Parts: sequence; structure tokens; C-alpha cells
Amino acid sequence: MTSSTATGRDAHGARSAPRRWSWAWLGVMPFFVFILFFLVYPSSTLVIGSFQDEAGHFTFANILGLSDPYILGAYEVSIRISVYSAVGGAIFGFLLAYAAVRGGLPSFVRSSMMTFCGVASNFAGIPLAFAFLATVGRMGIVTEVLSSIGLNPYDAGFSLYSVLGLSLVYMYFQFPLMVLIIAPAIDGLRQEWREAAENLGGSFLDYWRRVALPILTPSILGTTILLFGNAFGAYATAFVLTGGAISLVTLRIGDQLGGDVGNMSQGVGYAMALGMLVIMAISVAGYTILQRQSERWLK
Amino acid sequence: MRRGTFWSWLWIALGVIYFFVPLVGSFTFSLHAKLGVLSFKAYSDVLQDPNFRINFFASVAWALSTIVIGVLLFVPTAYWVRLKLPRVRPLVEFITLLPFVVPAIVLVYGLVRTFSRPPLMIVNSPFLLIFGYTIMSMPYMYRAVDTGLRAVDVPVLTEAAQSLGAGWVTIMLRVVFPNIRVAVLSGSFLTFAIVMGEYTLAQWLAKPAFGPYMALVALTKAYEPSACAIISFALTWAAMGIMQFVGRGAPGGAQVAGAH
Amino acid sequence: MSTKKMVWAVMALAIVLAACAPAATAVAPIVQTVAPIVETVVVPATAGPAPTASPMDALVAACKQEGQVTIIAAPRDWADYGTIIDTFGSRYGVVVSDLNPAGTSADELNAIKANEGNKGPQAPDIMDVGYSYGPLGQSQGLYQPYKVAGWNDIAIKDPDGYWWEEYVGVMTFEVNTKIVKDVPQDWSDLLKPEYKGEVAISGDPKGSNQAIMAVWAAALANGGSLDNAQPGLDFWAKVNKAGNFVPVIGNLSTVTQGATPILMRWDYNALGDRDTAAGNPPIAVVVPKSATIEGPYVGAISAYAPHPNCAKLYEEFIMGDEGQTDFLRGYAHPARFASMVSRGVIAADVLSAIPSAAAYSVAVIPTLDQIAAANKVITTGWDKAVGANVK
Repeated sequence: MTSSTATGRDAHGARSAPRRWSWAWLGVMPFFVFILFFLVYPSSTLVIGSFQDEAGHFTFANILGLSDPYILGAYEVSIRISVYSAVGGAIFGFLLAYAAVRGGLPSFVRSSMMTFCGVASNFAGIPLAFAFLATVGRMGIVTEVLSSIGLNPYDAGFSLYSVLGLSLVYMYFQFPLMVLIIAPAIDGLRQEWREAAENLGGSFLDYWRRVALPILTPSILGTTILLFGNAFGAYATAFVLTGGAISLVTLRIGDQLGGDVGNMSQGVGYAMALGMLVIMAISVAGYTILQRQSERWLK
Repeated sequence: MRRGTFWSWLWIALGVIYFFVPLVGSFTFSLHAKLGVLSFKAYSDVLQDPNFRINFFASVAWALSTIVIGVLLFVPTAYWVRLKLPRVRPLVEFITLLPFVVPAIVLVYGLVRTFSRPPLMIVNSPFLLIFGYTIMSMPYMYRAVDTGLRAVDVPVLTEAAQSLGAGWVTIMLRVVFPNIRVAVLSGSFLTFAIVMGEYTLAQWLAKPAFGPYMALVALTKAYEPSACAIISFALTWAAMGIMQFVGRGAPGGAQVAGAH
Repeated sequence: MSTKKMVWAVMALAIVLAACAPAATAVAPIVQTVAPIVETVVVPATAGPAPTASPMDALVAACKQEGQVTIIAAPRDWADYGTIIDTFGSRYGVVVSDLNPAGTSADELNAIKANEGNKGPQAPDIMDVGYSYGPLGQSQGLYQPYKVAGWNDIAIKDPDGYWWEEYVGVMTFEVNTKIVKDVPQDWSDLLKPEYKGEVAISGDPKGSNQAIMAVWAAALANGGSLDNAQPGLDFWAKVNKAGNFVPVIGNLSTVTQGATPILMRWDYNALGDRDTAAGNPPIAVVVPKSATIEGPYVGAISAYAPHPNCAKLYEEFIMGDEGQTDFLRGYAHPARFASMVSRGVIAADVLSAIPSAAAYSVAVIPTLDQIAAANKVITTGWDKAVGANVK
């Protein structure tokens, strides 16, 4: 337990008395205990296993093995797809959410959008892959329609089984995730501010730059990193669609931990997962820094 | 305003196209179960399978339970962190994102090993599955709640309520919850969807669930998998509609304070 | 409804639901018919033909005492496991739970390890794994030895009884003839330009046994051998370069929809798919003319099996003449096929339903060492040959 908050000030400048401080930690104890029992301890095999070889002896070989270009390539592809689908998902998801919440549309649009996004947010894996195959696969209905007017996308080099194709498919659960999480934040933008900005002579763009974006940026950043994590940890859709032809870290881990082949190395799988954990930690650190910057901007 | 609504309709239209076209693709395919004619045979096959109903409603039960546990655990935590312990926020946020990087199979393997022996022998209890699901839904539920709290001036509200003599429970139930109702609903939707589709945990813990059922159907059937996907999509959408209706609360939803 | 009341109502509802759903599975046998992943059969014991040897009687009695057995990764439609499970369950009055039907062989081993002390339904009793997993599981101490009655008829087995062959399949092409009018008959046909974007494998060769065998089988027809799997990688690289390869993981749905109209599959799966499709779409199953490979699946009993007697009885059943014939009905050649044919115990209608023996004459079966070597070559070489050329 850190002692720094004992005499420090919390975000709003109020001094926390020592007695209240220790009580404050009690408030998050249920959370930490729950996490310990049901996440940290059961997943400890991940950390321990990274440092064990087949016979169970301590080794750094798995970690060093991460520098294999094949594995590094997997990390690169995973990060790329995650970034593309997170940024794309954040942008279009935000536009959709704003349109539904503040766009002046009838209220049924908003409520049906929310519930639909709820379902679509986890429409992934085999059903999603198949839906896209049935639509823009070689024998898909859209492909056939386009071919009949002479615009076969496959002739133009389109491939569903590529980084861009996969990112396109990932959007299906990224957009809804963004919409669902950012909608309450957009809700918090009060109509009066928009009117006040206009009364003060500001244009639509000014309102956005000076009022709405600063307020929304922390939430947008936070949700984008959620989208990143969401894509980073996904594997079922990519697996079915590309059979592992696109090298994602999650697929490589799956090969090591649960394949059919008999010469897998679980230690390597755990080490790769540990690598994912580190990348996630770095992302959170980066996001926290960005967060602090934007909050300073707001003040 | 008029110019604004044009753009709004445009984005919505684009969204609808993107979301519905793949569903149409799956749907049209599923209508071909009977040779030569369009029919709903695949759908009747799925709906008549008793395993479909059992697994679907089992997953609904898991989902609702997970939502309850998640709300009980994450809302107070997020609130408390925001109010009292802002310095621990990065750590908590990191923790809430961990389920993304811990493969489900590692998690469930650990859960089975940990809880299949005394003193904590709860491997057969449904609560182990529910707690596992709570962990898996944590990134979404926590982020949704946190975003909702951000839009509300938590310290001011709390001080105001306390100065009016409210205890912690009253503050949670009558001040915090109503203001983050939409956010909690969003988190609940996400949790519901995740649990409905989840496969690994249910499989290993030997509990009835919809994810394993769908995987099994996809293994050896031609048209039933897409029919199953469409049906589950529709039913889940309906379930969320019900949740939204129930979660409506007091009319004119009390937005006591906006963002600062 | 005030927020407070609503919250209490939802909590109450959820707790009631949570209490009900698991109660359904806790009341084990009766309600387990409804548990899905845990596919079970509950039928009162019928008077079936009594096994003749008396140690068998003791085994049957001991098994009836146990009352249930857990099998893992055995989908009902795989080599007609459905019939086998149902027959066994009803004959001996035992509840058979099928854990993780869509699982892989590695999942099976992991399930044993994770459930070491657990006597609950999460712990598997009976294994059915790919050939390499026989010795692998044995070396990790996960099996217990047992020799079934027909032990001497089995060609592929561990001499100490830790694992033995149950059935074997042959790599074939599963073809949707509605979309593919000119059915490929051999490996070289797969390179023809008319099959652009149509050829797929039903797994990832970096992790799936069936997929690896598909690559290896191609090697046999292209200058490779049981000791040299590299030509298989070269062949699939050629198929990919020609634009004929589609990386989607194939199954009956994708074959039907047209995303993967030509699919590499074990014969029993392909023939099973053909029957399931029942003409919609019409499916042809082709054993490649020049060469193909056999892939045996082996059985074992978990060292920590909560119901060892039922496990043993089950193995006696599936390795006996009746169970082995059931496999054949599911189009999988049983381990004791040769002995059964020579004794004339296979019904004529079953024999006529399977593809002719002549077609199978080009199939060869590898040894364990050859499998280990080929696995290594294929899993490490696949990405260079075919995958990872994506932008």
C-alpha cells in the first residue's frame, strides 16, 4: 500500500485525513479480492509457465524465443489489425452514436440502435465469418450482384482474407462497442452549451473544438483503447476466416496451447500471452498519459 | 437543425447498410435447407431441437446473473476509485483490461485447477461459471460505468447528498445509479452479448450454454448454423429490448448533473 | 417503478434463474439429457445380449454401480459416435456425458491434467485422440493401461496397453457437385484454373491433425514419401499461387454455401457430410487416385478417471465386433477390420455402403516417428509456403 495518498490531495484538492484514507482502500477491497481469486491466481500459470520448459524447469528460453521474426511478425500483424479496427471503429462508432443521440432523430432510432449494438457487439467468430463469406465471399450475394454488372471485386484484387479484409470484418463488433460506451458521454453534453456557444458568436466548428471535444476526448480515448484490447484479444473470427493464414498472436498462442499436433510447446504459448500482457500495459500507460494531457487541456 | 439531421440520417443509413447486409447474406443462405425451394426448414429444425431451448435459456440465466454481480461489484468500485482513489485508477484500468490478454483457455484451466480441490471446491457450482463470466465482461462493464461516471460530477453530487444527510447506500441507490442508468444499461447489454456467445468457460466447466451448442451445430450441419445465428441474434435483440424497457426507470430520467 | 425496487426485482430474478438452471444439472442423470455440451442419454437398462466371459460380468456390474461415464471430444456425427453412445448407454443403463464435442486432442489431454482430483462431470474418463497423442499422453502419465478382449487383432497399439487404435480414416476430397461440375479426381487436378478460389482444408496445418494429413497426403502424390513431407508444402504453395487455395477453415456449411466447394476431409467425415446434406447440396467423396494417407485415431482411459469400470466396459464395447461395425456404419474403418472380414462378421449392407477396397489401396499409413517428423516440417513450413503473404 502506498503511503503517498496518506497526506496527499485527491483530484479535487480536498485533504484526506489518515483515518479516511485507510477506510477508502477498504472500499475497493471487494474488487481486489475478487480479482485475486478469479483472475490473478487462476491465470498465474500464464506467468509461471512462461518461464518453464517442457520438463518444468526454470528457463528464459521462451521469453528469448519471442524475438523470433515469425513471432514478432505475429505481434506486428495483431497490433496493426487492432489499431485499424480500433481507430476506424472509434471514428465511425462516434459518428453513429452522435447521430443517434444528438442528431435530432426520432427516439426510436436511438433505442433500437442501442439494443442492436448490444447484440452486434459480440457477433463474432463462426457466425460473423460465415455472414461475411455469404455476403462478400467468392460466392456471396453482394459479389454476385456486383459481378453481374461487371464489377467483380475479386478481379480488382479485393480479398477478405487480408489485414484490411479482416479489419473490415472486425468493425462489425467494434462499431457497436464504441456506440454503446460513448453514448452516455454524448448524453452528458448539454444542449445549453451548444446554444451558449452559438450565442457567444461561435460556429459549429468552434463549439466542437472548444467545448465538445475537450469534454469528450478522455472518454473517446478510453473507449479506443478498449476497442484496441477487444481486437487484440480476438481470434475466433480470424481463425475461421483465414485458417491461420494471417498470423495473429492469439492464433499462435492457440496453436501452442491447444492444437491437435503433439509437438506444441506450452511455455512458448504462455510467453506469447505474457508479451500480450506487456503490450496491454504499455498501451494503458500511454493512454493514461494522453488522458492526463487532455484533462489538463480541459482545465 | 435541418442540415444536421441530413448528416445524422446519412451516418445511420451507412451503419444500417453495413450491419444488415451480412445478416441478409446469412439469412438468404439459411432459406435453402429444402432442395429447390425457399423454406424455413432450417429454422424449424433448430427451434424444434430441445437442446436449443435449454441452452439458450441457460445462457440467459448466466447472463442476467453475471450482470447483477458485475453491477454490484464494478459500480461501487468505479465510483469509489473516482471519488477517493484517483491515483489507483491506472492500475485498476489495467486490471480491467487484463481479460483481453488472458486467453480464455488459460483462465478456465486455472479456474478448474484452483477450485476443483479443497478448501475451495466450487468447480461444480454455477457460481464459478458466473464469476468467470464476470471477469470476462469486466472490461466492458467497468469501462461503460466509468464513462458514465465521468459525465457526472461525482464529488459534488456526493458532497451535496452527504450534506443532506444521505448515507452511502442512499447515495449509491438514489444519486449515483439514476445518473449512470444509461451507462449501466450499455454495460449490461455488452455483458449479456458476451455471455450468450461464450464458449470456452461453459465447455470446460460442463455447464449448459448456448456457445458450445452453436459450435456443435456448426460442426456438422449445413444450413442450421446460419439459421441458429439469425435466431439467436433476433432473440438476443428482443431480450435487450426487454432489458431496456425494464431499465427505463422513472420517466424523464433524472440527469441531475452534467459533465463539468 | 423506482430504481431501488427495480434493482431488487432484477437481483431476485437473476438469483432465482441462477438457482434453477444449475439445479437442473445438479440433479444429474435424469436432467442431464438436457445438458448440451454434456450430451447424455438416459434410458433404463434393457436386457441386451449378455457378454459371455465372466470377467465381463464383473465389469458390467461394477459399471452399473458407477452409473455414468464421461467421454470427451466425440461429436455425435463423427464416425457415427451418436449410435455408439446411445447403444452403450441403453444396453448397460449408463449415463454417457460427452464433454466438449468440438474439442481437439490437446484439449482432451489438458482436460485430464486440469481435473486431476476432480470426480465431477468436468473430468473425462475416455479418450479418443490423434495418433501422436497416444504416446504423448502416455509419457505424461495421463493414461491407465487396459487390454480389451480383441487385443491381438489390433495392429497399432502400445504393447503395455496404454493406448490402441480404434478406427482409421483416409484423406479424401469432399466436393459440392452443384457448384463444381467437373469433379477433381486427383491431386494434380486441384491445380486446374477452373477451380480458382475453391480448394480448402478443414483446419489449420499449424495445429490441426486433419489439416496436416491433407498436406502430407499431397506430398505422397508429388514426389514425397512417408519420410519426406516437404513436397506437400510445395504442392500447396503451387495451389495457392494458382489462386485456387482459399484459407477459410472448411466445414459442411462452407462447402454448401460455396466458399469452400472442394474440401480436404477424412473419408468418414466427408461421407457423413454427404449423408447429412442428403442431396442438398449433392456431395461427391473422392479418394485421390494416385496416393493418399491414413490417419488412425487411438483410444485410452484417463489415469484419473472417476469411472474407470465404465470406461473399460465402454472400450470393450467399441472394440468389440458390434462397436467396430458401428464405426464402419459411420464410414470409419475399424482397427479390427481385417480380422472381422476374415471371420465374415460384417453385415453385407454395411460392407456395400463403404467405398470399395480398391480405391483405398493407394492409402498408406505412417509410423509414429514419421508422424513426428512430418508434423515438425509441416507446422513450421506452412506459413512460408502458403500463409503470411498477406498485406
